[in-house]
Amino acid sequence: MSAVLALEGLNTFYGKSHILHGVSLRVEEGELVALLGRNGAGKTTTLRSIMSLTPPRTGRVTLHGRDITRAPPYRIARAGVGYVPEGRRIFGHMSVHENLQVPPAVSGPWNIGAVYELFPRLHERRHSKGGRLSGGEQEMLAIARALLLNPKLLILDEPSQGLAPVIVQEVMRAIARMKREGLSVLLVEQNARLALQLADKAYVLSDGEVVHQGPAAVLRADTARMEALAGVSHLG
Amino acid sequence: MEALLIYSAFNGLITGIFYALMALGLSLILGLNGVINFAHGTFMALGAYLAFTIEPYVGFWASLVCAPLLAVVLGLLVERWLIRPLYGRDPLFSLLLTFGLAMIMEDLIRTIWGSVGQPFALPAYLNTPLSGSLFFLTGYRLVVILITALITGGLFAALRYTRIGIRIRAGNADLETISAMGVNIYVLRAANFGIGIFLAGLAGILAAGQLGLSPSMGSSLIMPSFVAIIVGGVGSLMGSVLGGLIIGIASGLTAALYPVAQEVVIYAIMAVVLVIRPRGLLGQEGLLE
Repeated sequence: MSAVLALEGLNTFYGKSHILHGVSLRVEEGELVALLGRNGAGKTTTLRSIMSLTPPRTGRVTLHGRDITRAPPYRIARAGVGYVPEGRRIFGHMSVHENLQVPPAVSGPWNIGAVYELFPRLHERRHSKGGRLSGGEQEMLAIARALLLNPKLLILDEPSQGLAPVIVQEVMRAIARMKREGLSVLLVEQNARLALQLADKAYVLSDGEVVHQGPAAVLRADTARMEALAGVSHLG
Repeated sequence: MEALLIYSAFNGLITGIFYALMALGLSLILGLNGVINFAHGTFMALGAYLAFTIEPYVGFWASLVCAPLLAVVLGLLVERWLIRPLYGRDPLFSLLLTFGLAMIMEDLIRTIWGSVGQPFALPAYLNTPLSGSLFFLTGYRLVVILITALITGGLFAALRYTRIGIRIRAGNADLETISAMGVNIYVLRAANFGIGIFLAGLAGILAAGQLGLSPSMGSSLIMPSFVAIIVGGVGSLMGSVLGGLIIGIASGLTAALYPVAQEVVIYAIMAVVLVIRPRGLLGQEGLLE
């Protein structure tokens, strides 16, 4: 059976600097995969390579076996990848409701009504400008916006970044719920401990290379190894 | 004296409307397409000449819609085959391209329609003053004001309430993100370019009815339109309209009070705005200061 998402030997560059060195990873149906690593390890670049925002120079990205390498980002999104970018990238000058009208309507369980039910707070604040929302509300809006594409795979870049611990828990509950509803998830986190609570499988990147892969339970149990690999001693 | 001032201000308002329509299209294209469209003026002239050619067959009112649409067809070809390959590159490339295109198009207009200016025939019922005391108020000028109000009002409503409008606004802020959200930015940018060219074509016909046709009509209107954008604030569509009207009226009034400064006054206004409020009247904070 083909994986929901498979990366095979991605080499990605920013200008002349070689960022990803042959990154391969797989996300199977219904799985939540954590992609961990220190700042600058190449986590965001991996996601940007998947979305073709920074297309990989060599290597292959497949979605359910279909090659999507270097396809225009909108095609990748419509093929079933919901992307929650780093820093959320909300349209700050537009209302919550307008933000939700940006993605095209794709048939499936998720529509604007359903995401308002998932995040009642967004419904309450639907007339507020995106820029006036709290960090947690912006994260919910970014997730809701990605869900409207009715994705098969959700990829999230540092959803806990800059959020208060209570809010982080709320966001993590929402992500756990996505997984229960059958979505496959690729979760990039600096906060490894947090991500490992939810993940089935974990990959660790260092200097653009995969230095560890295996069941999340292994790293969850072996704290010393987790700290050595992903450098999280000061977090969590 | 009072009558003279009202008359001059009104003249200026009409010119300002042409600037405003041009500036609005330029702003749209600068915002989403990231292109400073130096060919905007020649698309304007093209709209006017196309109307001049088809008006005898379809009449004034139909030419008002059809001629800008024909200009849009050419605009979409230009966007697809000349401008699209330059997206994502240094903005200087597209600026040079449209600058060259403007010269080519202007010469094509001279070749096809002749280099001598020509009058644009208006229906007689539009061309007579409405009353003796308001001798400057012709039906045509009312039509210019009404159409412009309708078109700009419609455009702002569309940007606010329709999906494509919402996407254009979102794309102005963050094109990469709307693309990752599943929006086909190639189609969106083409549509946006088309809307801008439609506004230019419409401005051309309306201006031709007032000022007549000449191959260089576009190049003489494009500079004030850039000034309108800077005065109104780069990045603000409403600002472009406001800027166009302000410099139009200012130049109209100066024509009455101190005619030799008529041309220079708009640049003086721009200089003052740039010194006092570099972002322009309605420009976003942080964009230019």
